[in-house]
Amino acid sequence: MARFITTRFLQALLSLLVITLIVFSLSHLTGSPIDALLPDDATQAQIDNLTRELGLDRPLHVQYFTFLQNAALGDFGDSTKWKGSSAAEVVIDRLPATLQLGGLALLISVVVAIPLGVVAAVRKGSSIDAVASVIALLGQSLPAFWLGLVLMWVFAVILGWFPTSGYGGVTHMVLPAIAMAWFQIAALTRLTRSAMLEVLDAEYIKLARVKGVSERAIVWRHAFSNAAIVPITYFGVLAGSLLTGSVVIETVFAWPGAGLLAIDAIRGRDFPVVQSVVMFFAVFFLLANFLVDILYAVIDPRIRHQG
Amino acid sequence: MLRAITLTTLVFAAAAPAALAQTVTMTMTPPAVETNRYWNTPGDFALGPALQGLVGHNPETGAFDNSGLAESWTNNDDLTEWTFKLKPNAEFHFGYGPVTAADVVHSLELHTGPDSILNGISQLEGAVAEAIDDHTVKFTLPAPQVDFLFVHGGRGSLVIYSKAQFDAEGLEGYDTKPAGSGPLQYASRDVGRGLNFEKVEGHWSGTDVGYDRLELEFVAEPATRLARLLAGEADIAVLPREVQGDAIAAGMAVIPSTRASNQTAMLFNGTFLQPGDEALDKSLPWLDIRIREAINRSIDRNTMIDVLYDGRAEVLPVFAMDPRHEGYSQALADKFDAAYGFDLDKARALMAEAGYPDKFENPVIPILSSNLAGNPEFPTMAELMQVFLEEAGFQTEIVEMDWAGLGGLRNARAAKMFHPMRNMPVKPSAVGIRNYYSAAGRPRNNYEDPEVEVLMDEYMQSTDPDRRNELAAGIFDRVFHQYAVVPLASISAEVVVNPKTIEGWLYPGVTSVGFSHFENVDVNE
Amino acid sequence: MRKRPFFDGLPVISLTILVVVLVIPALFADLIAPHDPYKAYLRNRLEPPLFFGGTTEFILGTDRLGRDILSRILHGAKYALSISIVGILLGAAVGTALGLIAGYLRGMADAVIMRVVDITFALPSILLALALATLSGPSFQLVIFVVIFVIWGYFARQVRAETLVLREADFVARARVAGASDLRILRKYILPNIVNTIVVLATLQVGVVVILEATLSFLGIGIPRPTPAWGLLVADGRQLIVSSWWISFFPGLAILLTVLSVNLLGDWLRDRLDPKLRQV
Repeated sequence: MARFITTRFLQALLSLLVITLIVFSLSHLTGSPIDALLPDDATQAQIDNLTRELGLDRPLHVQYFTFLQNAALGDFGDSTKWKGSSAAEVVIDRLPATLQLGGLALLISVVVAIPLGVVAAVRKGSSIDAVASVIALLGQSLPAFWLGLVLMWVFAVILGWFPTSGYGGVTHMVLPAIAMAWFQIAALTRLTRSAMLEVLDAEYIKLARVKGVSERAIVWRHAFSNAAIVPITYFGVLAGSLLTGSVVIETVFAWPGAGLLAIDAIRGRDFPVVQSVVMFFAVFFLLANFLVDILYAVIDPRIRHQG
Repeated sequence: MLRAITLTTLVFAAAAPAALAQTVTMTMTPPAVETNRYWNTPGDFALGPALQGLVGHNPETGAFDNSGLAESWTNNDDLTEWTFKLKPNAEFHFGYGPVTAADVVHSLELHTGPDSILNGISQLEGAVAEAIDDHTVKFTLPAPQVDFLFVHGGRGSLVIYSKAQFDAEGLEGYDTKPAGSGPLQYASRDVGRGLNFEKVEGHWSGTDVGYDRLELEFVAEPATRLARLLAGEADIAVLPREVQGDAIAAGMAVIPSTRASNQTAMLFNGTFLQPGDEALDKSLPWLDIRIREAINRSIDRNTMIDVLYDGRAEVLPVFAMDPRHEGYSQALADKFDAAYGFDLDKARALMAEAGYPDKFENPVIPILSSNLAGNPEFPTMAELMQVFLEEAGFQTEIVEMDWAGLGGLRNARAAKMFHPMRNMPVKPSAVGIRNYYSAAGRPRNNYEDPEVEVLMDEYMQSTDPDRRNELAAGIFDRVFHQYAVVPLASISAEVVVNPKTIEGWLYPGVTSVGFSHFENVDVNE
Repeated sequence: MRKRPFFDGLPVISLTILVVVLVIPALFADLIAPHDPYKAYLRNRLEPPLFFGGTTEFILGTDRLGRDILSRILHGAKYALSISIVGILLGAAVGTALGLIAGYLRGMADAVIMRVVDITFALPSILLALALATLSGPSFQLVIFVVIFVIWGYFARQVRAETLVLREADFVARARVAGASDLRILRKYILPNIVNTIVVLATLQVGVVVILEATLSFLGIGIPRPTPAWGLLVADGRQLIVSSWWISFFPGLAILLTVLSVNLLGDWLRDRLDPKLRQV
């Protein structure tokens, strides 16, 4: 087990290194912060000054190694757009908002998708199965920004049940979290359904039926507890896609999270912040998957030996 | 969806819940840069409520006045020395003491440092400030500047920070809570969300703001800003004109700036007609003046104003020319219809005469579609230009690029595109001409020709008002007849307010986003 | 398999909707669209749809430049279809090829390919797209590239997993003993056994791709205007979601119907062809 964990960890680290290179080259290829920062009537002197000031006149590989050295120490440089803060500070400031919203979205998807998936499996082929899959699929069939805007208009502006947008308590989070979660519900429902179908076919379930165990107990105690492992393995991917989803939803709902920050940083060519936000996303994703791998290996020993 | 439509009107008519009367919330486009260090922004007006410059503006006429930190000013005859007398009773917030000449000298240093990205900072290049006494400061300039007040006024290239605060806390003091001197003081900043101010009780100027707190919210999506306004979460919203109709239908009111704050145009970038210019690309179709005229004549400007500005704009005869500034020529304005009026037959005749498209190496007109905060109409403008040009028979393509991408190309003098531009606030003629029509505006200018250069050389040195007026008029005349750009519209800044909470707001439209004079926001009791 | 009367009707309905909303318009837009999708009737700007105060001239209304919404949606189907087909074919090809190599060769090749998969999953695709768009400007090619980037990993993972199992199967061992080359084994023995998985997976990606195109348009980096791509139409009309709702509503409906149908079809296919596939 220790060896499995070490290997996985080293692999993740290696991935991270490659990601730094990609992120660094991409951000530097996209132009210069000078282009975004300077006003329309910038003079040549202003352009030259700022280039020097930001260290953009040094050779690219020198800039990369400086970046790598500092990044290893958790220093991503100073933000060019949020002047006065380091890039890492800017990102850390915004991360909690994204995690709150992502967490609620995750909760909503689980609470809706798992029962939906179980019911769809138990009543496979019935109209309930069909309705469940249509409900689940609806969220995946609409662009999230549009769904978000429609939710905002109906439930905030017209009905007044929730605030339209902005940062705040749970009431502020409900609409954006639903808009984000709905997209995931389809995937999670499908997964739960197929896992349940597989388990429900198993011998021991048939045996339990023969023994006269109640249907409720069969479904939830015997079948679901065994099928649950499958959705768990999906949480790594889910976490990643929630982060990506945050980019759009946070824009629509003016939610001051890391997704909105990422867009602003890219548009503002704020390389240090772009680099740190992507690194945070990547580390988060790799970590989530690392944990899922370990969890999975603990539950299912065969995995350890597959490499 | 359909249900939503029918319900909308009912609900809004019933009651948009009023925000707390004592807090004014304004929802607006996020600023380009979020920091309390003003010189690290292109001129972030969001700090405007608290920070002041030396010169103010009359809210009705937009004219410079002494509502800023200086009570009076003088200049020498050759316009190279400007002396400002500070108001003796002006005071910084949070107990940082009186505003003195030393604060002005300190602020100029900060604003002209290597990390400064301020708009219009070139006007302060090489300027030296000297404290004559506690309340007198003299600027010495390397070249005459008739428009020196502009940097201190709405353009806001120099706002005054407290040296006392800097000495006590350094830049970090500014990052946490910068002391300004305006009738509202800095309360807090929520990065990515907004900026909050509170009323200064017993302000030194005697201004008594009619509300306790001002919250500026940064919301990128226009539809979300509209939702916030209609749901009563915001009292004032900055909205694209095409969305304003929805707000008006729901009982909201539009308050425009008292004066035009913005001019828009499409530029033929790369028209560098001075001999030997290496940046010139000879294949640009608009190097032929007939093509430039034909394009100008393909555009139905009245329809354009309906489509882009909801009918609330004036046709602009010359980009960068304005009745308030030097060189304004009524004659050109009168000639506009004859020379630029919508006339497809004339346009096609010109194209035929020029041999378009066969004689052109590269007949395709690349039209830039871009997003610029404050000009949400630019993408639609690109599509509309394409419609007009294709109708006349031009070959076009739309190029999408963000504004920073265009900036990069302009820095390299390689923006070979037909692209939108704005002049906001409407700048003094010398600044506008420099930016758009003269080599002095390199690298980001778009048009140069030898005749303009001759006039410009004299214009930049001249200190005689009459002569300057003639020279500016001469340049405008030249670029008008050269069809140097496609002037489009002159527009006011506009905000949409909830009349239940906001009675009015008198502002002249002199800043780079149009808004100012927050003490004039009139709150309903 | 049990009889499933209700569920069996669904694929037929789905397929019909797909043909009507996506395929026919994509192939015959030039013939059936009432107007030129780029033609701006500037006098008829923002006309509501028929039954909402509009006329039969513009059945689904017009946009802010007076272009016919119906014609734009019909022509937009071309882009939805071509992005899906091109993007998914390429993404599936890359993913399948690398998945086969990884699963069959194992060892170093497997480790490298799977790390690359990890990396693509770990990089937020939307941000990558934003960065690339600022680099080269939005374009059709960029959208295709992003599609490939987003989906190839799913194919690679799934194909690798199945190849790992199949390469140990008896019939593969027999072929190897009989002297079949690796390439032949992959082509003749392994690939045919995973085709079902690939087909199901590919079907389920259509929805992902159509939605992705819309998301990119929302961020201003989708297919460049004035192309009437569905995502761009919805994104462009979102400002006027109250007063001129038809601008975004009808293209949104086209997306909804297409994605919903193709996903239902995909689910049905999976139940039939590859019930063990745990694809999301």
